[in-house]
Amino acid sequence: MKNKFKKVIAASLAVSVLLAFTGCGNNQAPSADNKKQESASTSTADTAGMDEQSKKRDDLYQQENQIFADHKDAWDKVFGLMNKNSAGESLSENYADVLAGTVESNKDSFTEEEYDTLCKDIETIRGIEEELAAIEKEIAEADSANGGSSESDESISLFQDFTGKDLDGKDVDESVFKNNKVTVVNFWFSGCKPCVEELSKLNELNETLKTMGGEVVGINTDTLDNNEDGIKEAQEILKAQGASYKNLTVASDSAIGKYASSIMAFPTTVLVDKDGNIVGEPLMGGIDDQANYDQLMEQIQAVINQ
Amino acid sequence: MDKKIKSAKNIPARFRGWIQAAAVLLTNIHIPNLFKGKIYQGKAKTMCVPGLNCYSCPAATGACPIGAFQAVVGSSKFKFTYYITGFFILLGVLLGRFICGFLCPFGWFQDLLHKIPGKKFSTAKMKPLRYLKYVILVVFVILLPAFVTNSLGMGDPFFCKYICPQGVLEGALPLALANSGIRAALGHLFTFKFTILVLFIVLSVLFYRPFCKWICPLGAIYSLFNRVSFLKIQVDHEKCIGCRKCIRACKMDVKVTETPNHPECIRCGECMKACPVDAVCYHYGFSKKKQADDQSEKSNGKGDLKS
Repeated sequence: MKNKFKKVIAASLAVSVLLAFTGCGNNQAPSADNKKQESASTSTADTAGMDEQSKKRDDLYQQENQIFADHKDAWDKVFGLMNKNSAGESLSENYADVLAGTVESNKDSFTEEEYDTLCKDIETIRGIEEELAAIEKEIAEADSANGGSSESDESISLFQDFTGKDLDGKDVDESVFKNNKVTVVNFWFSGCKPCVEELSKLNELNETLKTMGGEVVGINTDTLDNNEDGIKEAQEILKAQGASYKNLTVASDSAIGKYASSIMAFPTTVLVDKDGNIVGEPLMGGIDDQANYDQLMEQIQAVINQ
Repeated sequence: MDKKIKSAKNIPARFRGWIQAAAVLLTNIHIPNLFKGKIYQGKAKTMCVPGLNCYSCPAATGACPIGAFQAVVGSSKFKFTYYITGFFILLGVLLGRFICGFLCPFGWFQDLLHKIPGKKFSTAKMKPLRYLKYVILVVFVILLPAFVTNSLGMGDPFFCKYICPQGVLEGALPLALANSGIRAALGHLFTFKFTILVLFIVLSVLFYRPFCKWICPLGAIYSLFNRVSFLKIQVDHEKCIGCRKCIRACKMDVKVTETPNHPECIRCGECMKACPVDAVCYHYGFSKKKQADDQSEKSNGKGDLKS
C-alpha cells in the first residue's frame, strides 16, 4: 500500500517535471505583457490614455462582432467562402475591402436580400475599421514611446553611433550603413562549422546586393577588441572560403559588442537599415540552406522596397 | 553494532533520490534563464559537469563532457582533447558509474519516468544491446567528429547533432519555447531528434534506464573504470547466504554476488537494500588487500566485544 502511494507520488512528480518544461513557454507571453504594463505604469497620464484607448478599441471590436451576430447566417456563408491562403497578404488592406472582395466574387451564392444586408454591413464595418486603425496606431506610438528603455528597443538602434575597424585595421563608423539601402550583418565565430560553411554564400550574396544597393558585413566574435590572434585566424578562414566582403571588429563593451556576445545560436544574421537600426527578426542558421536564403532575400527585398 | 556500521555505509543508497535531485539542481543552477530563453555563458561554462547535461540548456552550470569532447576533437585546431580525457579518467577513478546512478540528470529523468505505474519489462534478455553504447562512443563521439571534416578540418559533433535526446529535452525544447528566433529555425533535424526523445521517454517507462544501458557514450566511458574505481561495491561472502535477492533486485542486470563491480553497475544500491544480511556494501578506497585487513580487524574487534 505504502509502495503504491510512493509510486503515485513519483509519477505525479515526473509528470510535473514534464509540465514544467512546457510551462516555461506559456509563461513567456504573459511575462512580456507584464513588462510592458510595468513600463507603461511609470507615467500615470500615459496609462490612463492607454486604458481609454484600449477600451475604445474593445468597444469597436464588440460593435463589429455584433454586426456579424445580427446577420449570422449570411456572414457565416461569407466566412466559409473566404480564401484562407490570401489572409496573410491582405493584412494591410482595410478588413472591409477583404470582406467586400469575398462577397463580390461570390455574388451568386447569396440571395438578393442577403447581398443587400452584407453590403450595408460592410460599409458600417469600414467605418469601424478606420477608427480602429487610428487607435491601433496611437497605441503603437504610445508603446514605442514608453518602451524606449526596454531591451528590445535598445537592440534595434545598435548601430547608431557605431565605431569599429575592419580586419585590416581601417576605422569604420555608422557611415557604412548610410550608403546602403540595407546592410546584412552576419555574426559568426571561427570555430563554428555552419558559420564558416556559409561564408562563400554570403560572399555571393554580397555581390548580388551590390547591384541592389546593399552590402554584407561580417562580425566575428573571436575578433572583438582587436584581438590579433582572432583576427588572423578569421582572415585565414575568410580567405580559404573565398569571402572578400567587409568584416568588422568592435569593442566588446559597446552596444554592438554586447549584442554579439549575447547571441546564443550562430550564425545569426540581421538586417540593418541606413539609419543603423536593426529591422525585422534575426535569422538563425546558415544561408547555404535554401529555405533560409529565400527567407533572408524576402526580408531584404522588403527593406529595400520601404 | 555491526549492523549499524554497515547500514551507515549504505546511506547514499537510501537518499539516492534526494542526491539526484540536488545534483540536477546544481548542474542546472541558472533556473531563471529557462524563462528568459538565454543560455548562461559565464566562466563556469569552460568546466565540465560529471553527468550528461546539455551545454545549451539555458539553466546549465557547466558544459557537457561528451559535447565538449566532440567540440574539441572536431575543431580544426585540435585532434584530441587531453583536458576532457583527463577529466574522464579522474572522475572514472574517483566515482565510476556512481555518476550515472547519483549525479546524471538524464539518469534521474529516466528513473522518474520508470516510476510511472504500469507494466514493466525486464532487459535481461537484451544484454547484447549493451555493447551498442561502446560503438556509439567510438563512432559518433570520437571517429566521425575527428575524421569527417570539411576543407578547413572542422567536424560536426555527431552524437550531439544526430542522437542525443538530452539535447532536445534540455536545449532545443526550452530554448524554442522561450525564443521565437530559435523556434523559427527548427527543422527536420529537430523532428528527428524529438522522435528519439519521445522513443526513449516511452522506453524508459517500460524498461529501466534504456538510454544508460544501450546508448550513453558517457556511461560507456565511466563503465570502463568501474573495476578500478575507488568507489566499489563489496560482497562479504562470509555473510552472504546465497539467497540471490540482490541479483533479482538489480535493475541493471548485474550478477551482484559474482561481479559486484561489473561495468553495468551504476552503484544505485538496490542490492544493498535487498540484502537480508547486509552482506553488500559500498567501499571507498584502495585495494582488496586492505579490504581483507579491514575484514579481519573487524572480526577481531567483534571477537573482542563478544569476549
